Amino acid sequence: MSRHRLETVCLLAPALAFLLLLFVVPLARLFSLAFTDEGGAFATFAILAESEVYRRVMVNTLIVAVAVTLITVVLAWPVAYALSRLKGFWFALALYGVLFPFWISVLVRTFSWMILLERNGPINRLLQGIGVTDQPLALLFNDTGVMIGMVHVLLPYAIMPLYAAMVRIDRRLLLASDGLGAGLFDTFRRVYFPLALPGLLGGATFVFLLSLGFFITPALLGGANAITLSMLIASFVTDRLAWSLAAAGSLVLLVVVLVLLGLAARLLPLDKGMLAR
Amino acid sequence: MNLAAASRSGLSLRFEGAAKNYGDVAALKPTDLTVSASEFLTLLGPSGSGKTTLLNLAAGYLEPSAGRIFIGEREVTHVPARRRNIGMVFQNYALFPHMSVGENVAYGLKVRRVERAEVARRVEAALRLVQLDGFGHRAIQQLSGGQQQRVALARALVIEPDVLLMDEPLGALDKQLRRSVQLELRRLHEEHQRTTIYVTHDQEEALVLSDRIAVMRDGRIEQLGTASDLYDRPVNAFVAGFIGESNLLPARVTAIEGDRAQADVDALCHSVTAAAAPGLQAGKEAALLIRPEHVLLGAAPGIAAEIVELVYLGELTALNLRLPGGATLWARQITGHDLRRGTQVSIGWRHDNARIVPA
Amino acid sequence: MTRQPLWLRILAHAGAGLVLAFLVLPIAAVLPASVNKASFIILPPTAYSMRWYGEFFLDGEWRSALLTSLQVAVVATIVAVVLGTISAIGLSRVRGRWHGVLTGLFLAPMIVPVIVTAVAIYRSALDVGLAGTVLGLGLSHAILALPFVVINVGIALRAVDPNWLRAAAGLGAGPWTIFRTVTLLNITPGLVGGAVFSFITSFDEVVIAVFMAGYAGKTLPVKIWEAIRIEYTPVVAVAATLMILLAMLLFAGAQGLSRGQTMLKKTEKPQT
Repeated sequence: MSRHRLETVCLLAPALAFLLLLFVVPLARLFSLAFTDEGGAFATFAILAESEVYRRVMVNTLIVAVAVTLITVVLAWPVAYALSRLKGFWFALALYGVLFPFWISVLVRTFSWMILLERNGPINRLLQGIGVTDQPLALLFNDTGVMIGMVHVLLPYAIMPLYAAMVRIDRRLLLASDGLGAGLFDTFRRVYFPLALPGLLGGATFVFLLSLGFFITPALLGGANAITLSMLIASFVTDRLAWSLAAAGSLVLLVVVLVLLGLAARLLPLDKGMLAR
Repeated sequence: MNLAAASRSGLSLRFEGAAKNYGDVAALKPTDLTVSASEFLTLLGPSGSGKTTLLNLAAGYLEPSAGRIFIGEREVTHVPARRRNIGMVFQNYALFPHMSVGENVAYGLKVRRVERAEVARRVEAALRLVQLDGFGHRAIQQLSGGQQQRVALARALVIEPDVLLMDEPLGALDKQLRRSVQLELRRLHEEHQRTTIYVTHDQEEALVLSDRIAVMRDGRIEQLGTASDLYDRPVNAFVAGFIGESNLLPARVTAIEGDRAQADVDALCHSVTAAAAPGLQAGKEAALLIRPEHVLLGAAPGIAAEIVELVYLGELTALNLRLPGGATLWARQITGHDLRRGTQVSIGWRHDNARIVPA
Repeated sequence: MTRQPLWLRILAHAGAGLVLAFLVLPIAAVLPASVNKASFIILPPTAYSMRWYGEFFLDGEWRSALLTSLQVAVVATIVAVVLGTISAIGLSRVRGRWHGVLTGLFLAPMIVPVIVTAVAIYRSALDVGLAGTVLGLGLSHAILALPFVVINVGIALRAVDPNWLRAAAGLGAGPWTIFRTVTLLNITPGLVGGAVFSFITSFDEVVIAVFMAGYAGKTLPVKIWEAIRIEYTPVVAVAATLMILLAMLLFAGAQGLSRGQTMLKKTEKPQT
């Protein structure tokens, strides 16, 4: 081994050993528990698949993730667009608005929503005050609350890639489209949207994957009928000490995330957006 | 479209006092300009001279601060680009990166809701016109710069625009390629006679391509005319310097008689009579213009000069000559004379080859 | 230059403004809740008082939770910065297929859902007796923080011209001197950014901490977590406000340090 390579290995070794010992091995040990149930190697997965309750949890997790992704993408669009057009002070202000929430603990942000969405909280009183509703709405401890909280946390993850795609779109392409006789809608549909699409899909994938594994927000804002897979895994460990089920659930979650990530990496036309100079 | 027959040769384009200001800065001073139907007109000038602003006003990408714009007899001053039926070729082509060559060319037809079979037919014809037949399915990124330029041209031409606008379309090509595309553009224009406005800062390109050239500076047209108008009869020192090689010697006008003027030229240590540019005033600063090819060696009587530099150009040799007053002149000679640095020569010129122009 | 209709521009910017308000304003809700006089949370407060701040600082449990959090964050930051920096340098010297594999491995803690990481680490920590200790929690948080350091230092390293290193070597400097005088000096902004991210990541982390904390090692977020689910008094709002203040302080500090640098993008994965 050359001296240069030896040095490189020495530089990488401590962190690799650290990751191996404290991350990879614990994960492997956990996953091995999934196959050590008394009922047989795949008994845990059978339980997860056959139980009506667990199936509902999986479906609910997916529904929440899909809904959160759709809402997030729709809300991200105007912000990313404004960011791509603003200059100077207003640009900085908007960018800080997007990045600032990143720095605030998800727990604290979720707690804020608990205060705001309460049955007698300010939002319900506002809605009653302006006559939207007579009765206070149930905004907390159900899927509505979970989605509001998750959208709030995940929005910046959708905004940033979308903004990056939009800011790369050459303004001359829009001028060219205009000159060739296209109306606003045609220019949007045939030029602007396809060029922003890679950023949109990238952000959506990111948001969807994060939603699948979300824990804090659903645990605090969700109710008994709004259980997600991550809450189920936690309750296997803390309430039932059912380690093999927790391990099986974790493995399912991780495999789903990795498969989707692999698909996204393969299918997303990420290079096309970058060529739009 | 009924217009198709009429627009085959394009429509005229007219600016009436068109101006564009950005705050206090006048990008274009009030300008009158008429481009006749089928004409190839070039806007020539350094960057910041207002030529691109004028082009964008024609395209509808900018609205004028004052004045009016007509395409044919239709006023388009406040009509957006998409309703002007113009063909625009951008400096970096602005080809849609997510579409194939064929889709790029078809774009203007699709948004006009032209029928599918008709689109295919016209796209094919347009690609044949720019000698890219068979390239329809290629991705834009697979094409060379020259090919991309031709796709941009096909995309602009396929909609049969009333006016074709080109913004330094050859700027990104290397010199060899530029020459052949220039000839190609001229061939296309001779065949199809489409009204064209062409923006460039390259005087050679302007000379090769244009019916008329508008030389621009500081947001206004300094001179508008044919290539030989500009070369033989420049209205001022700027135009003389911008078109072709030139020797410009500072002069002061002493008298004007008809189309001739007399001026003191310090560099020559005596007074000179030469053709006068319009707008010359006695007592004002001016310049004596002599093109290098008009400087004669061995003239008698002549002005004594010393050869200080020889530049071999192939067929011709450029000579840098120092005059007694210290100023220098460039001259051109057929290569082969036994010329050496340091040789004393006597130089002169024919009177009708010298011109006095405002500085 | 395109003429976009005014209504469209107004619509787009108004929409953006509303969404940004939705992003930023709710975070502020805990502030009025914390200066509430009543013994339950009500917004807007009917009477104001600092009494809950007093409760927070007089209560030994809250104080020790804050202290534990700071200790854990310091351990996590030191471990993540030291390991992350040397591995970023090592990674910058690797080319080809191995570069992708190693990068994937270093970023894996960002990809694996935190709940999975938390359960896995908790299980192994139970087995070796590290659960409930500051060291155990600090090391766990270092795993989550490591990717940020590797990314930030990696980006900073790309700005270090290899010719500078050759120049320094040509002038007679040894490897350690070159590192100290050329490399380290130039990657300082990335290093500081990575350190700040590491600290805040650990300080805010709940999921692993909830499992690992036990009775002894409760961090501030764990205490908040429990308080939300059990007591739900305005003391929680006080703790939340303090966490926001600390985050803003770090945010401002990082911005100040990275002025002129482009370290704005904290692409952190939320604790989920």
